[in-house]
Amino acid sequence: MRELLSVLVTLFIFPGVAFLVACALLFEWIDRRTIARLQARVGPPWFQPLADLVKLLSKESILPRQADRPICTALPVVSLAAVLTAALYIPVGGRVVYGFEGDLIVVLFLLSLPALFYFLAGWVSVGIYSIIGGSRSVLQYFSYEVPFLMALSAPAILTGSWSISDIITQQAESAWIVLAQPVGFLLAIVGLIGKLKRVPFDIPKAKSEVVGGPLTEFSGRKLALWRLVVDIQTVAGIFLLVNMFLGGGDLTLLQGSAPLGLARAVTFSIKALGMLLTLSVTSVLYARLRIDQLANLGWRILAPLGLLQLAATILMGIG
Amino acid sequence: MIEIEAVLEAFRATCPDHSFDASTMLTDETVIEIPAACLKEVVNVLLDTFSVYHLSTITGQDRGADLELLYHFWHGRGITLQVKVPREDARVSTLTGAIPGVDFYEREVGEMLGVTFEAHPGPEHLLLPEDWESGPPLLKEQPDEKGEA
Amino acid sequence: MTRVTIPVGPQHPLLKEPLSLRLIAEGERVVEATMRLGYVHRGIERLAEERSYVQNLHLLERVCGICSHVHTTTYCQGVEALLDLEVPPRGLMLRTLLCELERIHSHLLWLGVLAENIGFSTVFMYAWRDREIVLDIMENLSGGRIAHAVNVIGGVRIDLDSDQIDAIRRSLDELHGQVDDLVNVVEHEQTLKARTQGVGGASLEQIRRHCAVGPVARAAGLDRDLRRDAPYAAYDRLSFEVVTESGGDVWSATRVRVRETVESLSLCQQILDDLPPGEVAVRASRRVPEGQVVARAEAPRGEVIYYIRSDGSDSPARIKIRTPTLPALSMVRERLRDINIADVPAVISGIDLCVACADR
Repeated sequence: MRELLSVLVTLFIFPGVAFLVACALLFEWIDRRTIARLQARVGPPWFQPLADLVKLLSKESILPRQADRPICTALPVVSLAAVLTAALYIPVGGRVVYGFEGDLIVVLFLLSLPALFYFLAGWVSVGIYSIIGGSRSVLQYFSYEVPFLMALSAPAILTGSWSISDIITQQAESAWIVLAQPVGFLLAIVGLIGKLKRVPFDIPKAKSEVVGGPLTEFSGRKLALWRLVVDIQTVAGIFLLVNMFLGGGDLTLLQGSAPLGLARAVTFSIKALGMLLTLSVTSVLYARLRIDQLANLGWRILAPLGLLQLAATILMGIG
Repeated sequence: MIEIEAVLEAFRATCPDHSFDASTMLTDETVIEIPAACLKEVVNVLLDTFSVYHLSTITGQDRGADLELLYHFWHGRGITLQVKVPREDARVSTLTGAIPGVDFYEREVGEMLGVTFEAHPGPEHLLLPEDWESGPPLLKEQPDEKGEA
Repeated sequence: MTRVTIPVGPQHPLLKEPLSLRLIAEGERVVEATMRLGYVHRGIERLAEERSYVQNLHLLERVCGICSHVHTTTYCQGVEALLDLEVPPRGLMLRTLLCELERIHSHLLWLGVLAENIGFSTVFMYAWRDREIVLDIMENLSGGRIAHAVNVIGGVRIDLDSDQIDAIRRSLDELHGQVDDLVNVVEHEQTLKARTQGVGGASLEQIRRHCAVGPVARAAGLDRDLRRDAPYAAYDRLSFEVVTESGGDVWSATRVRVRETVESLSLCQQILDDLPPGEVAVRASRRVPEGQVVARAEAPRGEVIYYIRSDGSDSPARIKIRTPTLPALSMVRERLRDINIADVPAVISGIDLCVACADR
């Protein structure tokens, strides 16, 4: 009985759905506020993301006549399920929920599913802007996903383990992986920007070209869920990068100690916020790229760098 | 700065039947009256011999007996070509072959005054809606906004 | 490959005013573009024939929101020529001051719109924040941010005292620092250059064939600016440089407009330094003697031309207006053929659309 209760609390409260949604809304607010301040504006108050979510949930949902209603309703729900499940396997503040050998691969797979569903959403909702946005999102996917996967595989190869909690533990014993693989870290950040479709990689939903991209025809509850998917993906992506490169809940840069759970949580939060601020600042600095410029960037610069990083890691391991 | 006398001479060479005379209009604008039949040749002279290629616009107006078209060119100074066409048979040749940019101006004069530009590649309405029924708005006998002619 | 028709307008996030474009695309390339104007056609030329010359000041200011002052300036120049009036020097200088302030306002607005359309919302926010400085100056001068109603036939209706002049100078100095930052961004920022360099290139030949004017033409190398070539208002007393580039692409047009903003700031300072004393207007009679006049001015977007014919009454017989956006639209149909869909926002924003001006 107690176990059941504990499982339910973990799944739905902490670090489950409630915690993730709260984090997602908080991160969205910090992001929007930072961007606003950097652009000489004021920015929204703390409850704005929650207000937007509640408002969208209560609005009418209209779809074009030829759109496939059941699939359009199912897609955001399935995407949400994918990112929530992925987030469950990512340790938060040093606290591992359901870790196992190979959970890194599962997380990476689950986190790449929303891109597929995003494209399908555009395809199935039939409008011209949706279809063009959808095809762009697939092109974009290939440009950032390969470097991203390579960058996130490098720590696993370095530590010899495909379990995220193992990687964290090894970082606590030796050093943060970012010191050994700075290139990989940068690639992971760039890949994350592409995954989250933030400027300069917000090409599929470029307002001035394709209006709303694949989600043009979505409104009401469906759109609310899509926005939640993006927010939770942001949270999951940031947590993943903090765990893989910055040592998770670890305090010191080089030698690890075992601080209390609260200290770990605080450290983790500081690192996560640092990553979020990095993402916000890069959103402000650039114009949107064209899809062919992104493909150029992805295949001519990012992928070769990722290969180099992997090669260096493997050679270091052999030597 | 081009010499108006030289321009007039060149015009007379192209179209010998007409005596091209220049007058002036405010502010410092030279006006030359052109018969409608010679318009295309005259404009080609301006373009080829004198490199006057900037046509600011074509003004069309209802002068009672005739409709008047004013082609406002500019080349360091303003040169306006004045063409009169009879109301009943308001047609003049198009200049889109020589100056593609004249397309919009001719379409506007066409819809506002009912002038036909012969051989214009696409004389649809520019500003008026497709289903405009009330006739060319700038002709003087059209009723004004109070409904009186 | 299948062809799809992408509608841009009449309502589209790219467009600030309704304009209908149908882009026929194969994959990511646009192969054909058709355009439909007239969504904001108000019949102003016809309306002007039924109003007196004074009432037309009110009407013609509303042809366009962004270049309202230059429309009334050109109109007043024409009517003043028909009436054989000479506007006092102080009036001319104040008229010119507002022309240049309007140019700064228009270019800053356009920079923000271009940046937003290529996804660079930071520059949009900064440019429009700086635009507020100019709008505040114009509001202090005339009482209105966009519609100033400063021109009257025979001069202007406002005057400046030394306090106002000092306040304007201070604001202009502040604006100068901000505009220098924007120039820096335009010249050096890599992603902006990546989206605008080599995009929407127009050769000098294309400019000539479509009779394009303004910064778009100057960006392709056409060295024409009516403020220098056919001086009106007080421009014969002022010194400035005409900015030209040779690339013809959107980046060249951006550089032209941003550097023109700097020139306009210098012109404003010159005007404030040399403001002659005296009256700002002369009385004009209501009835205008018979005659015809062609008046031209350099609006922020290029040459604006007015033809006015009077028949001796107090109402014009014919007013013909041609605004600079019309030839630019004629040219953009050609520019939109055989480009990337992602370049469409840059190309359309690059010509600085003012559809209200084009439709009248």
